Amino acid sequence: MTTRPGSVVLMALVCAAFLPCMPRVAHAAAAEKSLGVVYADGRQTEDVPLAKLDKDSDELFVSAYDLARIFKATKFWNPDNRKLVLRIGNHRYMLTLDTRVVVVDETPVLLRMNVRFDEGSIMIPLEFIEGVLAPRSVEKIALDRARLLLSIGSPEYNVTGLEIVDDKDGTRALLALTDELLYHIDSDTPGILRLKIYGGRLNPLKFTLPEGKGLLNRVRAEQVEQDAYLFFDVRKTVQRYRVEFEGEGAAAAAAGKKTPRKLVLFLERGKLPEIPGADFAGKKMVEMLDEGAKRKMIEPVRKIAIDPGHGGSDSGRMGPSGAREKDVNLAIALMLRDRLKEELGIDVVMTRTDDVLVPLDERVEKANAAGAQLFISIHCNGWFTSDAEGFEVFFLAPARTAEEAQLARDENASIAYEKQNASEGSGGDIDFILWDMVQNEYLTESSDLAEMVQREMSTSLGIRNRGVKQTGLRVLKGLKMPGVLVETAFISNPKEEQLLLSPEFRERFIESAIEAIRKFQGRYAGKG
Amino acid sequence: MIRTKTGRSIAIALVVLAVVVAAVYLVPRLRTRGPAEVQKVSEEMRAVTIFFGNKSADGFVSETREVPVAQGFEDQVKLVLAELIKGSRDSDKIAAMPDGTELIQVFWVEDTQTLVLDFNNAFTANHPGGSTGEYYTISNIVKTVAANFPQVARVQFLIEGNQVESIAGHYAVDKPIDVKKWR
Repeated sequence: MTTRPGSVVLMALVCAAFLPCMPRVAHAAAAEKSLGVVYADGRQTEDVPLAKLDKDSDELFVSAYDLARIFKATKFWNPDNRKLVLRIGNHRYMLTLDTRVVVVDETPVLLRMNVRFDEGSIMIPLEFIEGVLAPRSVEKIALDRARLLLSIGSPEYNVTGLEIVDDKDGTRALLALTDELLYHIDSDTPGILRLKIYGGRLNPLKFTLPEGKGLLNRVRAEQVEQDAYLFFDVRKTVQRYRVEFEGEGAAAAAAGKKTPRKLVLFLERGKLPEIPGADFAGKKMVEMLDEGAKRKMIEPVRKIAIDPGHGGSDSGRMGPSGAREKDVNLAIALMLRDRLKEELGIDVVMTRTDDVLVPLDERVEKANAAGAQLFISIHCNGWFTSDAEGFEVFFLAPARTAEEAQLARDENASIAYEKQNASEGSGGDIDFILWDMVQNEYLTESSDLAEMVQREMSTSLGIRNRGVKQTGLRVLKGLKMPGVLVETAFISNPKEEQLLLSPEFRERFIESAIEAIRKFQGRYAGKG
Repeated sequence: MIRTKTGRSIAIALVVLAVVVAAVYLVPRLRTRGPAEVQKVSEEMRAVTIFFGNKSADGFVSETREVPVAQGFEDQVKLVLAELIKGSRDSDKIAAMPDGTELIQVFWVEDTQTLVLDFNNAFTANHPGGSTGEYYTISNIVKTVAANFPQVARVQFLIEGNQVESIAGHYAVDKPIDVKKWR
């Protein structure tokens, strides 16, 4: 490390500029405002303090510290000539304290207000973001002055619009999607219909309507990690609801083409026969499934593959009191096998029945070869601290679309061409892609099974419900059947470790799994 | 069967590529300057975003850190991921990095926009397991890379130069992870 004269002063000043803006906020209490920043890159939405520094102007200022952080700028402050250099994207912006001049690359641009120093921070007028940064940025930068909202980056929303139409039959909520996405609707909370769109990306602000129309009181939207949720607060006079994709386009979607679709939630009023067992908001309701959900699986489920996770040299997660995940998984899986045979007369294929390590691919092959119609993998969860708790259910994230698969095929073909002499495996790449496509076929069933298992576990286990998730779990890849992976509880949590060892808890899990399979049978085998 | 064989052959090709890249780029560099210089403190600092899992493992929390601006891209990645491996002082922010984790080397394969991260054996050997734990180990790295290095399209994990099927038995990491699709 080299030491330069004046570097101490420089560091001190840089540090001063980095200090949180607490004193300034207190000082500017009368004019205290904040800027909401919404990112598209996965960073959390945040509020950044703003200051009004000139009594003759309404202009608001943001600290250089916050600005650099928001735009991921490289910043360099030279106290000798009072210049601050920010590198954002491909541009270099040089600002000088107490002047209005910004030199962008080599060209000077004038701001209306001076850049200033206030309470230990270099303060930059918002005009800099709007007038200087935004026009030069590759990323989309939008500053809404009225709402004091800054959004950065184009998030590529695929849930793009919501329209509510009300007429004499009922109310329709029309959701515009850029592609046919998988969804699930439930009414677990009375009066609320929860629509989950897997892989949906939306702007929650745009989809939150404080006042609805017709049978819809209001709508709230959330982006939870990779999935979008819409909560429809509906009137009590709703007699039934259904969700389906509107009109044509199903053929194109089935062929794997990306087609804009309209997903419609129908809320119907009027007197309809009461359907037992479908209680909703004090009324009887019937959930009508979309066309896509009832196409396959008209045969009753006769054979299920059960996969106890880990085994042999791979113990899985160890509990704080020494319980081994592989043992718990196997014990529960064997219990489930016996009960499925007894109660539902279903044949069971086990991927392992002893304490041995079976490679993940081999587990899949065993299930495929046996002609199993459902695959259930049983695991215990683990976290780095003892805090995490609850159960969760996974199914496989959609693999490549047809278009992407084609691209991958082309890429693979060119690799194979380049390495003609390297190996003879090029045919295998295509096989691999086909395997991916095979699982896409079972997405709806897998998602339904996952939701059903989750619902049953939620009512009987008495531990936290972490929900249904879609991920790229290795053991579910290549399955020629719907498959889910159940994380029964956290073995790393001392309380849940004890539960996992208790016969009562295991019994409750077995019952919920059997009930879910029974319901799955009812939904698929009863129709078609 | 064929699928596995092919996956392996792609993977082997990648390792070979990585080694070639290492040989071409790293050997001359190591000769000209010592590793200590990577950590060189310059006046130029860069604000970076580091992702962690929260305490109850049901969401991500980010933290902004300042790291020195490094001379090369690979060095910059190393400095940023070192912040993740270091962890957070905030007990609600869990890095999900196994004890003793070290990022041995970083290679950037420009052609395929693949970032190759070579970790030491502790990264897998000391992983406590559990799919949630494994998920956050991968996600914290992938999200941190994505947030700070938009040019990275894929991340390939290696353990002491070798590919592994998974880190703790749930998620496939033998092939590069598509940053945009990781979920």
